Amino acid sequence: MLDFQRQAWQAYAEGQSGLIHAPTGSGKTLAAWGGAVNELITQDSSGGGLSMLWITPLRALAADTCRALNRPLEWLGMHDAVALRTGDTSAYRRKKLLEQPPPALVTTPESLSLMLSYADASNRLKRVRAVFVDEWHELIASKRGVLLQLALARLRTLNPGLKVWGLSATIGNLDDALAGLLTADQQDADRPGLCIQGRVDRPIEIDTLLPDSIERFPLAGRMGLPQLRAVVDRIEQSDSTLVFTNTRNQAENWFGAIQSVSTKPETIALHHGSIDRELRDQAEQGLAGGRLKCVVATSSLDLGVDFSPVDQVIQIGSPKGIARLIQRAGRAGHQPGGRARIVCVPTHALEIIELAAVRNRLRQGKVEAREPVRLALDVLAQHLVTIALGGGFEPDRMFAEVRTSPAFSDLSRQQWQWTLDFITRGGPALAAYPNFHKVESVDGRMRVTDRRIGMLHRLNIGTITADGALQVRFVKGASLGQVEERFITRLRPGERFIFAGRSLELVRVRDMTAYVRKASSKKATVPSWAGGRMPLSTLLADGMLALFDEYVADRAYPTPESDSIAPLIALQQRASAMPGRGHLLIEQLQSRDGAHWFVYPFAGRLAHEGLAALLAFRISRRRPVTFSITVNDYGIELLSAKAIELEAADWRDLLTLDDLTDDIERSLDAANMAKYRFRDIARVAGMVQQGFPGRGKPVRHLQASSGLIFDVLKQHDPDHLLLEQARREVLESQLELGRIRAALERAAEQQLVIRRPERLTPLAFPLWADRLRSQLSSEDWQTRVDRMLGQLETAAGASS
Amino acid sequence: MKLRLHGVELELLPERAVWWPARKLLIVADVHLGKDQVFRRHGVSIPDGVLHHELDALDALLANYAAEKLLVLGDWVHAPPAEGDAWPEIVLRWRKRHAQLSIDLVLGNHDRSLSGWLQRWKIDCIGASFMLDGLMLVHAVDAEKETLPAGLSGHWHPAARLRSGREKLRLPAFALRDQHLILPSFGRFTGGMDGLDRYGWQLLAAAGQRVVAVS
Repeated sequence: MLDFQRQAWQAYAEGQSGLIHAPTGSGKTLAAWGGAVNELITQDSSGGGLSMLWITPLRALAADTCRALNRPLEWLGMHDAVALRTGDTSAYRRKKLLEQPPPALVTTPESLSLMLSYADASNRLKRVRAVFVDEWHELIASKRGVLLQLALARLRTLNPGLKVWGLSATIGNLDDALAGLLTADQQDADRPGLCIQGRVDRPIEIDTLLPDSIERFPLAGRMGLPQLRAVVDRIEQSDSTLVFTNTRNQAENWFGAIQSVSTKPETIALHHGSIDRELRDQAEQGLAGGRLKCVVATSSLDLGVDFSPVDQVIQIGSPKGIARLIQRAGRAGHQPGGRARIVCVPTHALEIIELAAVRNRLRQGKVEAREPVRLALDVLAQHLVTIALGGGFEPDRMFAEVRTSPAFSDLSRQQWQWTLDFITRGGPALAAYPNFHKVESVDGRMRVTDRRIGMLHRLNIGTITADGALQVRFVKGASLGQVEERFITRLRPGERFIFAGRSLELVRVRDMTAYVRKASSKKATVPSWAGGRMPLSTLLADGMLALFDEYVADRAYPTPESDSIAPLIALQQRASAMPGRGHLLIEQLQSRDGAHWFVYPFAGRLAHEGLAALLAFRISRRRPVTFSITVNDYGIELLSAKAIELEAADWRDLLTLDDLTDDIERSLDAANMAKYRFRDIARVAGMVQQGFPGRGKPVRHLQASSGLIFDVLKQHDPDHLLLEQARREVLESQLELGRIRAALERAAEQQLVIRRPERLTPLAFPLWADRLRSQLSSEDWQTRVDRMLGQLETAAGASS
Repeated sequence: MKLRLHGVELELLPERAVWWPARKLLIVADVHLGKDQVFRRHGVSIPDGVLHHELDALDALLANYAAEKLLVLGDWVHAPPAEGDAWPEIVLRWRKRHAQLSIDLVLGNHDRSLSGWLQRWKIDCIGASFMLDGLMLVHAVDAEKETLPAGLSGHWHPAARLRSGREKLRLPAFALRDQHLILPSFGRFTGGMDGLDRYGWQLLAAAGQRVVAVS
């Protein structure tokens, strides 16, 4: 037994709560579970009832976890003590679990929420003494984490002695992670919660697959296929390889490429979140059993307890964050010396520098933080209806209970009253929502009395929402996985696309299912999935700037990457200057395309989108000008037809923090973005009924798109707090306002270095190369329509 | 936008309606009155401003064109009024303000169990379809079918998607093929259907102040 395990068991026995953080496969599960095992075998078995809950973020992990938790109990002669309950569990089995509750249950946050919605929930759950939250780092920064916090608050009300233990990989803000599992004031109380550090992460060895010559290595691009040969060599030299990519699109492309040059294509498989569970299982088992040599995967394989280690892990492209790199490297088996080795394959020259920064950050032992979600009123509204169904609640007590959860410790009376009004009258008293029925007050308790409403609510419980996903299925029957509606609706029957590594032809779309057949030709489009690309983490971006400073001062710690990128850095320095922490590099140049301004704040792609729009907006306010905007993780390009002369003083004005939020909202089509964002919020808050893949739409007469509801609310109840939440989420999550602000704050301290190189510098080139045109438009709606129509008409005229 | 259909002069209005000058007839389809109430009854809080807005929009059109008749091509309501619903009374008050107007309704798939209310609203139900000056007026046609009779219908809520660079826009649209015209839904709180252009329909979008051909 390991020290940290003993420590955790001891703390558990004392009735403490806490957080255990340690790398995957280091005995974390046993550390958390040991105390519970002890309690389970010593407790009076005749008492019965459910006493332990194990929460897992992925239902795919639940079965493995259930087996792992049963094992120690079976050694001690207790059989089938841990059962499974997830969205996949059959209705019959669920009923059985209700009638004869097992001592312990493995479940998901959504499934727990569903359990809280049954009328006798408090009776069934009041004996729960401990809740274990597995992979808490995966939940903390999401609304699922909020839903779980609310459920924990409820369980604590039912049993004030409840122990809560979280299991987490190493993240930058373990304090927040611990606090998220406790009550808002628990840390000041007599049982403040413990943070238990397990075995430290294994040292990670990064092996960068450097190109033969940097001069001939592409400066831009995301696929990295020029490195294909070298990657395939590595795969063939090893018994089992996991190839991680950053997006599903990249995974599909790499899978196809590796297969096409591999001598044994049948030993290569594909694994990503949109592929059907069964096919994914086959890939996992094939690799573990030795039938497969290589699986190409996305973050879909970042989690998973029992996944057996592979010989080799290859990461295509920069991991974009340290935490992700650690997680992925952890998949590699034990090398001599107990090191986890990962082969990193840069897809373009600047990514080599990113990898050097990864190496430095790793040496310094720094990992990204994951910011908890706060005050998500959509989740609160959903939870309140759940509790109203599950026996009802008294408003004042519930307000106090909700405020014990850290996600809502700052909930104001007004926000509470609004949320309560939202579920009882439809909206605030002044707006008109006649005959609204959802939650009603019965003798002072808020309850759901209409059975149909209860049924609809249960169908919609949960906050993870696959965005309008369609099932992809062969006409003959077998299901392949899910693809976004957005992508399919652009295809016509007969058109081909690549999915799950196969070339497919769309036959028809019906009842949320895209029916396909095998296509003969390999020529087809690969779908892109939304939200696939993660921006460069702040930690890593700062790491790059720090590295630049060291290079310029000739103090760089020698890394395998140094020699490779030295010529590139020399070129950048000769032609312009290097960016750094103390100064912000701005480049101006003229090309055939027009007049370019390049700015390199190193704030990540998302923040750059907002920042670029902000700068373009502020410049065009001085004089009318239309920019074409391009961003990447390093910088921004603003392209205009005519040169705009700006000096350092002008840039100081443009980079001001004054009126930041207002200007950002005005510069981007924030209203439209909020409308898009509202889709998830409306679903969580129960305002749109979700269609279920394969099951058709359950309630036809209740179909309305969230966009329609957004428009209606905006027109007839403009102060709706969920609209305000959509706006806030756009700013905070989508545009990363926090990072934009931080970038501007830093710029205020930085020296501005303005250079006018003759041609594109190594930093400018990638921006120039993947230019994504976006016209800054400030016209009103009608002129915008007219202009778009004009363009369409011109295009139509040109093609006919 | 003016349009000649089987010799009949019609005007397509950006307010999602058709004006038939010779008969002083205003035509709309798929109004879906009471849809907001259906949602509220099922626990989805849609404000009742939706209903008032629909009726106001009809008021404005009727007044602008000095229409003598209103023809509804089906789905006047979203669902039959339920016990305790206030909206049928509000529609009745609206109806009384237009006492001179005659209203005909071609029955749509949503117009079920309405007879009592149709009488009170003084709306003449003229069955599933009828002919007027050689035009067939009906709620729904099979939009995938090759040949269709000259006429007007609703039901599909056609919509057009515009795209230019990063900007996207979706607008309600009329759909025209040969001599048949499908109207956009008049109700604002209704969805639209893309892709009619795949079956050879030309989409005429109701874009702000005008109707424009987009495909």
